[in-house]
Amino acid sequence: MKYRHLFITLLMSVVAPLHMAVAQFVPIPPLTEPVIDQAGVLSSTARGDIEREVRALKEEKGSEVAVLIVPSTKPEEIEQFSIRVVERWKLGRKGIDDGVLLLVAVQDRRVRIEVGRGLEGDVPDVKAFRIIDEVILPQFKAGNISGGIRAGVEAIVGLIRGVDLPPPAATDDSAADLYFPLAVFGYVAGALLGSLFGILIGAGIAGVGTFLIGYTLFSLAAAIGLGVLVLVLVLLLRGTHGGVGDRGYRGGTSYGGRTSSGGFGGSFGGGSFGSGGSFSGGGSSGRW
Amino acid sequence: MKRILIALMTCVTLLSMGGCGYNTIQQQDEQVTAAWSDVVNQYKRRADLIPNLVNVVKGYAAHEEEVLTKVTEARTKATSLTADASVLANDEAFKRFQEAQSALSGSLSRLLAIAENYPQLKADGNFRDLQAQIEGTENRITVARTRYIEAVRAYNITIRSFPSNLTAKMFGYAVKPNFTVENEKAIAEAPKVTFD
Repeated sequence: MKYRHLFITLLMSVVAPLHMAVAQFVPIPPLTEPVIDQAGVLSSTARGDIEREVRALKEEKGSEVAVLIVPSTKPEEIEQFSIRVVERWKLGRKGIDDGVLLLVAVQDRRVRIEVGRGLEGDVPDVKAFRIIDEVILPQFKAGNISGGIRAGVEAIVGLIRGVDLPPPAATDDSAADLYFPLAVFGYVAGALLGSLFGILIGAGIAGVGTFLIGYTLFSLAAAIGLGVLVLVLVLLLRGTHGGVGDRGYRGGTSYGGRTSSGGFGGSFGGGSFGSGGSFSGGGSSGRW
Repeated sequence: MKRILIALMTCVTLLSMGGCGYNTIQQQDEQVTAAWSDVVNQYKRRADLIPNLVNVVKGYAAHEEEVLTKVTEARTKATSLTADASVLANDEAFKRFQEAQSALSGSLSRLLAIAENYPQLKADGNFRDLQAQIEGTENRITVARTRYIEAVRAYNITIRSFPSNLTAKMFGYAVKPNFTVENEKAIAEAPKVTFD
């Protein structure tokens, strides 16, 4: 334990300077809404149109398109800043990775379309480049930033509309699918151990075991919930054997409802953006 | 009494497996391998684009033979090296892989630089598409390398620090090679394609 403290101190002395270097970068705003304009260039109508457009897309296809406008990304290149933003925001659904970010750095006169892993086939670099080159940049060059962004979003949304994606009902929290099997596994193991060592010990081991497995797979909250659930269920075996299945099912349901609220990012009408999508640097950049 | 003892032993074994960092090492080792295969894939993607690029440039700038040949040679060399996860256990192979890729980056950026001298080439639709693809791939390479660097950093810290270093030794997990600063500089100088 002593060593561990020493190690952490050493680690901090290495990490802290790195942290300070990071602090000089442009901070990433929280994803409170799908259109964030820190440079104040969007007209209110354009902004409203874009928001409606991307929310409609999310409802229709599940894909998440967001817009971020900053004055500058300096000292980073737009590509570096962009990948940091999407790594934080996690646009798109988990496992489907169907998010797109349109990033504009007004003073740097740079624009980038960052495409999620799952859309790289349908929105390849060349198409992203053409949207920038043929749709966005002509308007930017004419001084119409607001119009260029709106046209760009329209083009991106239009492209995604034509893509064959899993329907939005396919929920994003695939890990939650494992809650039930784990609870059943813990319950069965607890019942077996209980018959060997007595129900109290069996319930204890099963509860702790479920918690440990749950903790490696899910969040801490989910692990505690599952552990307690299994503990209680196995303890219930002590008295009667009837009705346990029913109770288990009900417990599982109410539990699932509680954890699913812990999503990323902010939420607004039509569901929250930032559902766990991943990016690998696909897309295109341009300057005007 | 005996029962409680067995139960306790089970708990202690479970906890100590976690405490000695075995699971962490496993997980981080897996992450390094995944990050590496991503790096390799992105380099492969770049290599796949080069023959087309060379052909298009040839159509407009055939007499830039030297630059074109250099790119082709560098590509052949880079793609001839093994790039699977076994490279990570062999510092020499890792270094060779890095050098071959950075040589290819260099010759590729020279090729794109001379393209600037040929307005007709620059206006060619095929060339512009290829340029956009190469630019995108260079960015993916940067992202993949950054993630690899982070994954190896985390892994190496784990297997060097107490008490997980004992576990690492016991199960034969060695320090993995990382991209050097020198090479990070080379990435920063990777071809930057612009469309002014």
